[in-house]
Amino acid sequence: MNSDGPSDDPMASGDPRAQALDAALARVLVPPALPPGFSARLVAALAREPIDAASRAASRARAQRDQRQWMAELDADYLRLRRRTLGTLIGGAFAAGAAVAVALPWLQALFGPRAMFVLACAGALIGLGIGTASWIGRLRLSNPLERL
Amino acid sequence: MQPAPADASAQDRDIVALLQSGALEAAFQRTLARYQDKVYRLCCTLLRDPTAAEDAAQESLVRIWKAIGSFDGRASLSTWIYAITRNRCLTAIARRRELASMSDAVIEAEAEISAASHRADSADSGTDDDASDTLRELIGLLPERYRRTLMLFYYEDRSVSEVAGMLGMPEGTVKTNLYRARAALTEQLRRRGLDDPRHWLESAG
Repeated sequence: MNSDGPSDDPMASGDPRAQALDAALARVLVPPALPPGFSARLVAALAREPIDAASRAASRARAQRDQRQWMAELDADYLRLRRRTLGTLIGGAFAAGAAVAVALPWLQALFGPRAMFVLACAGALIGLGIGTASWIGRLRLSNPLERL
Repeated sequence: MQPAPADASAQDRDIVALLQSGALEAAFQRTLARYQDKVYRLCCTLLRDPTAAEDAAQESLVRIWKAIGSFDGRASLSTWIYAITRNRCLTAIARRRELASMSDAVIEAEAEISAASHRADSADSGTDDDASDTLRELIGLLPERYRRTLMLFYYEDRSVSEVAGMLGMPEGTVKTNLYRARAALTEQLRRRGLDDPRHWLESAG
């Protein structure tokens, strides 16, 4: 008797009537054996099947596997790109701070009280330059600076 | 004794590994060795006709061969195989009903021939006694869901989980169906005056 038999199974209670019925059922319900020649007929049926049916299924499965792999790689690339962009931004901000700390005394000596205004203008110009270059690239316009 | 469900799915891991490596033919050969008997038994139970069951089992196995490359492992291999087999049997049953509505006379004649050959087979075997015949008859009269559950339970060496997988139903439902099937059989045997357990034990001996 299998251990996963029903817990509410009357046979589990050891009822002799239930056990007798179980024995009788086991005797009457004999599993049918495969008919003679079944395997030979099956092999013939499989041979009649167009050979490309299985290979088509196989190539479909292979294509699905490749697509899953490609999507996983794409996901990984996207994450890497986001991480790199974040790193660039943080690094750029630190580099700009350091550049300002170095250049400010020199600018103050050169422009006096207007040094901060000059610094802000220079920052704005650099920002505009990077933004314009980025939009030129995104809109696939020819970059006039490349001709220089 | 049938393997426990966990063992069964562990057994199928080798087939799944072969499928993943693209060795379809080897995977199918193992599937065939492991499941063709079970597929045939499921077809016999659902269709109640050995000839139709043989055709359905063969068509199911051919279909499994054609689709084995696309098995994606979302369900277990056995669940997938039994679902294909059940669908094939349901198609056969629907076709039979369609045919019956077209020509009742032909179907009745066929049923008569089939019943006669069954009686002849039983007579040839010479081992049946009255109690076994009565029990067989009563099993045949059970509501379809109880009959299928009961037959597969004994065919599959009393494995509730295997029957649940084959019929695509929860294990609790299998247990309930078994309980009700046995209760119905006991009641019918009692009504026929065959409620003495010694009688059943003798027939089982």
